[in-house]
Amino acid sequence: MSEHEYHPLVKQLLDGEITLAELPAELRAEGEAALQLLGMVDRSTVSVPAVTWRVMARLENRRRRALPWLLAPALALAAALAVWLLTAKPVAPASMVTVRFVLVAPEAHNVSLAGTFNQWDARATPLVRSGASGVWTATLQLPAGQHQYAFVVDGQRWVPDPGAPAVDDGFGRRNSVLTL
Amino acid sequence: MRPESQATDGDIVRSVLAGDRERYAQLVERYRDRYARYAARMLGSVDAAEDAVQDAFVRAFDQLSQCKDPDKFVGWFFLILRNRCFAERRRSRSEASLDAADSVAAADRTDGGAETAERRRALQHALLALTADQREVFVLKHVEGLSYGEIAERLSASIPSLKMRMHRAYDRLREELRDHA
Repeated sequence: MSEHEYHPLVKQLLDGEITLAELPAELRAEGEAALQLLGMVDRSTVSVPAVTWRVMARLENRRRRALPWLLAPALALAAALAVWLLTAKPVAPASMVTVRFVLVAPEAHNVSLAGTFNQWDARATPLVRSGASGVWTATLQLPAGQHQYAFVVDGQRWVPDPGAPAVDDGFGRRNSVLTL
Repeated sequence: MRPESQATDGDIVRSVLAGDRERYAQLVERYRDRYARYAARMLGSVDAAEDAVQDAFVRAFDQLSQCKDPDKFVGWFFLILRNRCFAERRRSRSEASLDAADSVAAADRTDGGAETAERRRALQHALLALTADQREVFVLKHVEGLSYGEIAERLSASIPSLKMRMHRAYDRLREELRDHA
């Protein structure tokens, strides 16, 4: 057994087959360190709400070759999603959540995010384009609660997130709703 | 007749095969996040995981008539996703390309300070150094919380062989993390 290998009893501990108290005293420190390693495992939730829309769009697109709800060329290439990674444990500060916004808009020159979290300022939160694929992303820390937002494409076109529920804003536009 | 929200996987699969394609969205909705986490930990990237899950659902739809037991759709779907993840790993051998969001998420957890965040990141990188077989067992047991028995059933593997993989993974992780002890 090399110095980097755990003792077989410690492996049983990691497997949950024995407890720390059942380890011989001389293996306790090794066992505690090994358990700390498991404590570092990222078990946070991964949410991919846009997958439903994207899967169904691909299936429908193949069937019809053209989707009736994708008349605008830019929108035809746009898909959006918000991924928020929630930790399995309480986080500090207590109510902040990491949210990742993604918009696929290959023909856009710039994309930003406007919402209740930035006073609907269309210039406050630009998304960054990654590579030539037309994927625009922004990662924000938002307080837990409900937020409304929309993507602003090229400073003019307000696009709701197809991967999120939406509500009427009372002025003829649809806002996406994100509940954290 | 059961309400749609209570429909079993088998009900939905049979309905889709009978021509109600739109109901497939219910299956996607039901399982996308659960399996996105598996894929994210296997591929080291949320973006890659999202693509893998999407492709797997499209492929599953195409092959749905080959799902021998519609009530066990999710086990069958998992194998499709698993193949997709392993193929992706073979295709892109660019190790240690952790997704920025993962890193952000780890760094943002301040319950143990910067040192803890750094160790979390180190563990994420170390996981990418495992073989795909080793990492899969580790992910299913320590991220998804499955027992060896459940993993064995899902992968059609024996428990002793899974334990061997896992124990090698423990040693490899310890070696990879020796500078972070």
